[in-house]
Amino acid sequence: MKDVETRPSRYEWVIILAILLASLPLILGFSLLVLSSFSKEMVTNLDLSSFRFTLENWINVFQGKLATTGGIRTNILKVTFNTLIVALGVAGVVTFISALAGYSLSRIDFRGRKHMMVLLLILHAFPGVALIVGVYLLYRLTFPQSPDIIRLYSFFYVILARAALEIPMSVWLMKGFFDTIPWEFEWSGIIDGASRIKVWWKIMLPLIKPGILAVALFAFLAGWQDIIYVRTFLIDQTLATFIEANIEAEYSHMPLIAAAGTLYLLPTIIFFLTAQQILLQGYSGGIKG
Amino acid sequence: MVKIILKEITKKFGDFTALDNINLEIDDREFMALLGPSGSGKSTLLYTIAGIYKPTSGRIYFDDRDVTEIPPKDRNVGLVFQNWALYPHMKVFDNIAFPLELRKVPKQEIEKKVREVAKMLHIENLLDRYPWQLSGGQQQRVAIARALVKEPDVLLLDEPLSNLDALLRIEVRAELKRLQKELGITAVYVTHDQAEALAMADRIAVIREGKILQVGTPDDVYYKPKYKFVGGFLGNPPMNFVEAEVENGYLRVYESRIPVPAQYKGLIEKLDIKEVLLGFRPHDAEVVKGISEGLVGEVYSFEPLGREQIVTVSVNSGAFVKVFAPEGEHFTFGEKVTVKIREDRIVLFDKKTEKALEFLGE
Repeated sequence: MKDVETRPSRYEWVIILAILLASLPLILGFSLLVLSSFSKEMVTNLDLSSFRFTLENWINVFQGKLATTGGIRTNILKVTFNTLIVALGVAGVVTFISALAGYSLSRIDFRGRKHMMVLLLILHAFPGVALIVGVYLLYRLTFPQSPDIIRLYSFFYVILARAALEIPMSVWLMKGFFDTIPWEFEWSGIIDGASRIKVWWKIMLPLIKPGILAVALFAFLAGWQDIIYVRTFLIDQTLATFIEANIEAEYSHMPLIAAAGTLYLLPTIIFFLTAQQILLQGYSGGIKG
Repeated sequence: MVKIILKEITKKFGDFTALDNINLEIDDREFMALLGPSGSGKSTLLYTIAGIYKPTSGRIYFDDRDVTEIPPKDRNVGLVFQNWALYPHMKVFDNIAFPLELRKVPKQEIEKKVREVAKMLHIENLLDRYPWQLSGGQQQRVAIARALVKEPDVLLLDEPLSNLDALLRIEVRAELKRLQKELGITAVYVTHDQAEALAMADRIAVIREGKILQVGTPDDVYYKPKYKFVGGFLGNPPMNFVEAEVENGYLRVYESRIPVPAQYKGLIEKLDIKEVLLGFRPHDAEVVKGISEGLVGEVYSFEPLGREQIVTVSVNSGAFVKVFAPEGEHFTFGEKVTVKIREDRIVLFDKKTEKALEFLGE
């Protein structure tokens, strides 16, 4: 007999079953994808008989081959690197801006603060696709003349545009994290002679580390996964556009695309498995005795 | 090491008046307690002295210097918070060193000063731990060390003991009092615990609803409360109050009559007052068995406390007084007794304003 607090609910198994059933399509889809990437032929229709193990697809992917035959090659490492730049760029911009904006919305009573918060929510409700025409117009208007920098410019633009989509929600999240920190920490710093910006950097940011990590992770994944903005603005390919471009090509070998797809999914899976732990790590121990 | 002068301080948060025309002088090297129930504005007053809150009106002086417009960091005050606000991501050493680092004190000097103050507070061996690895009492010492390391002119304490357990609190309060006198620092101490204020402070300012009701030495506020509230807030158990009517030289309390205390005879005649509240402390009376001169009633309950016992006497239905009685004495429920009050310790309050008669003219 367990203690009351730790005893599982009598209906626990019902809940677990429901969760399993709900996630079954996803789990099946992912498993088939991963299986296919190690197979000579695609594993479909839950028919495991078509599975014949091979590492060929993965070798081909890293050699940049798009098909088992023929000579078309793409430098997949470079595509992965591009994806990483976009994802890290979005994560950096979003984290920096929302950490500053979240702090001021949480702590400074400036004019129009409430309206700004409502506005942010409304902005968040706009889907990125709905904005793309306007964003594209701005892209064309600011497009540089010099051909040397257009690729750099397209990176710069896609990072800013994609980050802008993430910022409203991230600012709200960040404000929530700042709200949880008692005013005394800040007052203590101010009395000791720190400026507001120093308080933010030296006291507040370390206290909400888990929050920053969460925001950065979500922004990173948003950049990593994005296809519409990347395809519209970025001259180079990322993993998402690479897979999309080849999935319907006649020469493409589907199990190979499956391997690329698995590679594309990897960060998401890893982050969601590990991030729970990180997100739960609080500093609550030091706040009260 | 400054004298703090608060002149007509008013602080409003929107429509709510947190501090209402506060006038207070805190002498150099004095230990002043701000005592009041929660929500009385005592912490707001402390934060106003620190500079975290700016008064809506009124001025604050440190000696002759008007600091009303001066930001907190230039006031040279140390503040210990109720939750201590230790930075959890910094080790104890860095916590204490933080104010000095912000002042760009050379590294060697920081090291020296941190060790000095840590030694004074007996936490030298904890310097390389994190705050969450310390006990409540240790965290509290670190918070005090951090406030003292910059050698402030004023030490402000916001209920620093309320997070400690009862035994530790009594131990620390004696130590804190000694530390304040040794350093010769002006200290302002916010508390809702009347025992803490009585035990530590040179003077106590009793605050309620944003107003200072009384300022005085612990003896003053304890024995000569200006308001019924002050008498009822200090002491454990607090002062007893019973309604009385003045009747040719006597106070009638329900069925009993006691003579008007000598010190009030002239005053009552002068004020021509009819209805008063009679206040007395539980240890300024004794319980005598049987009916005689004094407040007659019956024993409602009794609580032995070891050295003594508290007897609750019902003087009329709904009106109770608590009186200390010596240990060995035996009481039974419902027993007829008489409460004999020390006449010179009786305090009479005006029934309407609840203000002590001797202060009524103010």
